[in-house]
Amino acid sequence: DALVSCHRHYKSRPTHGIGRFKYLLPKEAPKKKKDKVQMKEINVGTEHEYGDVNIQMTSYDMCLVEHFAQYVHKLCNRLSIRVNESYAMPTKTNEVLFLEERGSKMQLDAVLTTHQRVVQISGLSSTFAPILLEIIQSSQPEGVHLLVKEHTEADFKSRLKSRPELEELLAQMN
Amino acid sequence: TAAAPRPWRLFGAMCLLRPPRITQPLEKEEEEIAALMGQIELEKSHYSDHEIRKLEEEEQLRRRKESMYDDDEAPGKTVIMAQDLEDKWEQKLLRFEAAPRITDADKSNNRTSLDRKLDSNLMLLVKQKVGNQELWLLPQVEWQPGETLRSTAERAMAMFLGDHIQAKILGNAPYGIYKYKFPRAIRTEDNVGAKVFFFKAFLQSSDLSQAELKEDYLWVAKDELGDYLKSEYLKKVNRFLLD
Repeated sequence: DALVSCHRHYKSRPTHGIGRFKYLLPKEAPKKKKDKVQMKEINVGTEHEYGDVNIQMTSYDMCLVEHFAQYVHKLCNRLSIRVNESYAMPTKTNEVLFLEERGSKMQLDAVLTTHQRVVQISGLSSTFAPILLEIIQSSQPEGVHLLVKEHTEADFKSRLKSRPELEELLAQMN
Repeated sequence: TAAAPRPWRLFGAMCLLRPPRITQPLEKEEEEIAALMGQIELEKSHYSDHEIRKLEEEEQLRRRKESMYDDDEAPGKTVIMAQDLEDKWEQKLLRFEAAPRITDADKSNNRTSLDRKLDSNLMLLVKQKVGNQELWLLPQVEWQPGETLRSTAERAMAMFLGDHIQAKILGNAPYGIYKYKFPRAIRTEDNVGAKVFFFKAFLQSSDLSQAELKEDYLWVAKDELGDYLKSEYLKKVNRFLLD
């Protein structure tokens, strides 16, 4: 009974391929590995709109930072601001060593991890931007640093890994 | 032909906010839920490295006491045990004293100090002479032709608090407007009334050691505004204040 009630239609059946739809969709270009997306919108001028703006949140506490990033993302969705990307920067680990000099030198360690989340926004009008900034500022949780800045190439490059072999070859060429 | 001069006089006012430094205390339901979630997480969690090490050492101690093991492992180990570390950390915690949430200024209700309500926004109110009355207002200054309204507001702030204020205005657009007509006695063709444009700025540092020009200034929270401002003015101001 369980074998017969399979939903797939065999190739000789007239109803074979009844659910196919992928051939109807428009063709997607194949994905390239290098993403050199650099969108710059009109910044100052008659348009009064900001280009890509990065909201960076850093903290030692990962749960707080993630929840805050989710809150900011949902807030922008509700206020119909376009969110381009929402990504995380790699975490930095700091080791704190205490040097107690009382008799025997002891080193107590504490390991602190710094987490950073970035939400990228575009399409902010200059009349609305201060209101949004105030809302985010006043709903900041304790221990979370907030940084709002415009997106630059340097920010884009900081997400990519450096390729030492490529740089060596380029240096050799030049 | 030149445009006819407008009958309204323009003022730029600055609403200087000191952002809260502490989070507000949780409500009763929020505290209950936080406790419940903490309990759930504790029960779902696994042991951390430190706790595993502590358990192992307790096991070893117990075994040694019961069956009198030869202390072969003892010289190899260092003397620091997990329990000792925990005790040390406990002592450190006991020595730490958090700063008080309710400061002296709160207890004495000293409204001129910035230390007062650390968990809410505080606004600057100044006593100004308007017409022939002395009123409590947000610091305002008349607009001069040729400057932007935002710079008028900055001038108002500088006038009352000195030049080196680290306050940040977020945008160029005003937050609110209050317009009123002068009483009929003063009203002329050119001078029907006044419009006050409000701007908001955030205090970056809470260090106001520079001299203040006027003696009557207050740092006031939103709910206390009603004690000082007139009702119409208050209504317009309340429209752009978040809590």
